[in-house]
Amino acid sequence: MISAWVTSVRYALIEQARNRFALGLLLIFVPVWDWLFGILIPPGPVAFNLQSSHAFLQVDGRDLTVLTSGFNAITLIVAFMIFAAARRDGAFDRRLVLAGLPRPVAVAAKAAAIVVVAALVSLYAALVLEAFWRPVAFGAVWLGYLLDALTYGALGLLLGVLVSSELAGFFLIIMVSLIDTTLQAPIENPLANKDFLAGFPSYGPMQVAVSGGFGHGVPGGGIVLALLWFVGFLVAGLVIFWWRTRAWNARGRRRVRASTPSVAAGNAGAG
Amino acid sequence: MSPPLSPLPSPPPPLLSAEGIAKAYGHVRRRQVLRGVTFTVAPGALVGIVGENGAGKSTLLKILAGALRPDEGRVELDGTLGYCPQDVILNDTLTVAQHLDYFAAAYRAPNLTRADALVDRLAYGQYRQAPVATLSGGTQQKLNLTIALMHDPQVLLLDEPYQGFDWETYLRFWDLAADLRTRGRAVLVISHLVFDQARFDTLYQLRDGRLEAAASPTTPDTPATPAVPAGAESSPSAREVRS
Repeated sequence: MISAWVTSVRYALIEQARNRFALGLLLIFVPVWDWLFGILIPPGPVAFNLQSSHAFLQVDGRDLTVLTSGFNAITLIVAFMIFAAARRDGAFDRRLVLAGLPRPVAVAAKAAAIVVVAALVSLYAALVLEAFWRPVAFGAVWLGYLLDALTYGALGLLLGVLVSSELAGFFLIIMVSLIDTTLQAPIENPLANKDFLAGFPSYGPMQVAVSGGFGHGVPGGGIVLALLWFVGFLVAGLVIFWWRTRAWNARGRRRVRASTPSVAAGNAGAG
Repeated sequence: MSPPLSPLPSPPPPLLSAEGIAKAYGHVRRRQVLRGVTFTVAPGALVGIVGENGAGKSTLLKILAGALRPDEGRVELDGTLGYCPQDVILNDTLTVAQHLDYFAAAYRAPNLTRADALVDRLAYGQYRQAPVATLSGGTQQKLNLTIALMHDPQVLLLDEPYQGFDWETYLRFWDLAADLRTRGRAVLVISHLVFDQARFDTLYQLRDGRLEAAASPTTPDTPATPAVPAGAESSPSAREVRS
């Protein structure tokens, strides 16, 4: 089981590494995005509602915007990467499971690939940010980026196994990311400090990154909120993946209608 | 006094049995594709299924392979199964060698000896390190077929397994099928080519959702099964085998 899982994760990551468009997007889009916001937004004080202390944090608007622009970039890229792979691999994953790859292994490999991709993309985005602004706590910024990347990776998986049209999936990712990350940024949205925004996926990650990045510690509540979104999307995506890779007679466990005898099916999978 | 008659040896039990398989598509306007398909495939048998487009051949094979649930009926399978789907189901970003390694893990195959032998036999070893996206349709189909055979299964379900093959590879496929039969494997092939039909031990025709025994093509006076046209295998027009 373990070696099959390692094999599955390895090939999932090799597949991601061969997604040259996504990698190109990552290498260019993240620094360009940070740079653009850095030159467009003038320095100046802006208030950010910190959930942990229920106080408004006075920070530099340019720094805050450069930090929050990273969320915009990584949510789009990670969701695209995972969504594209999930859609492309639907029939292939099914064939692997029919061939005997245990579904728990396939499911665990999907989850692990999301974690690795999210970790690497968020690390890269946090490192790129260093070129435009030096946060007080690099680790907190990376953690905030990681939490959002995990959430959007899981969303990418959910859409990849759920929506029938590639275009529909891409549009959904763009719309969700745009609404979510833009509404959280005080410079782009004067209502960004409203309480109702706590119900959005990027709220927790942004609280973690902004609070830590400006030297006010890492709020545990933000981490919990972010993980709830991640786990919610992940479980929904994996349940649909599990259902879609089912085999009706695998290993003789399935039965067909009460009116017909049980299926005494084979002891090994199909190719 | 004549010696006592020894009882005839009983035929070996089938490796694959299908009984009463029924399947319909659609909710509002239901289209009944299969209406109670029953048949068996014994060890060492090479069975063909023919039928018009849309007759339900691929649906039947998907059900036998476990990829599709029938509305009614049962399938019994005694042994390991290899399934070559009609559509090439591969991962464009992985190489040939990576596919073989991945499926060896899925099959829990101890080594790649047989997979490597199949690659050599189907003559595409030079593409081992090539990503699937860069391969021709015929070479992709060779890999599609290799994946179905690489764990040396007892039962083989092959849905038009030679699509896109050139003539030489097409003939190699039938050599391979003959070997499998000799080694006691149960082989079920969906075919639409008239000149294939002489190659099967048993030939079924799927018509109106039911499987009818088509007369054996080895007996010449059988109108239900078109005879092999003389010289078909050397006909230039038949050198590319496509669906």
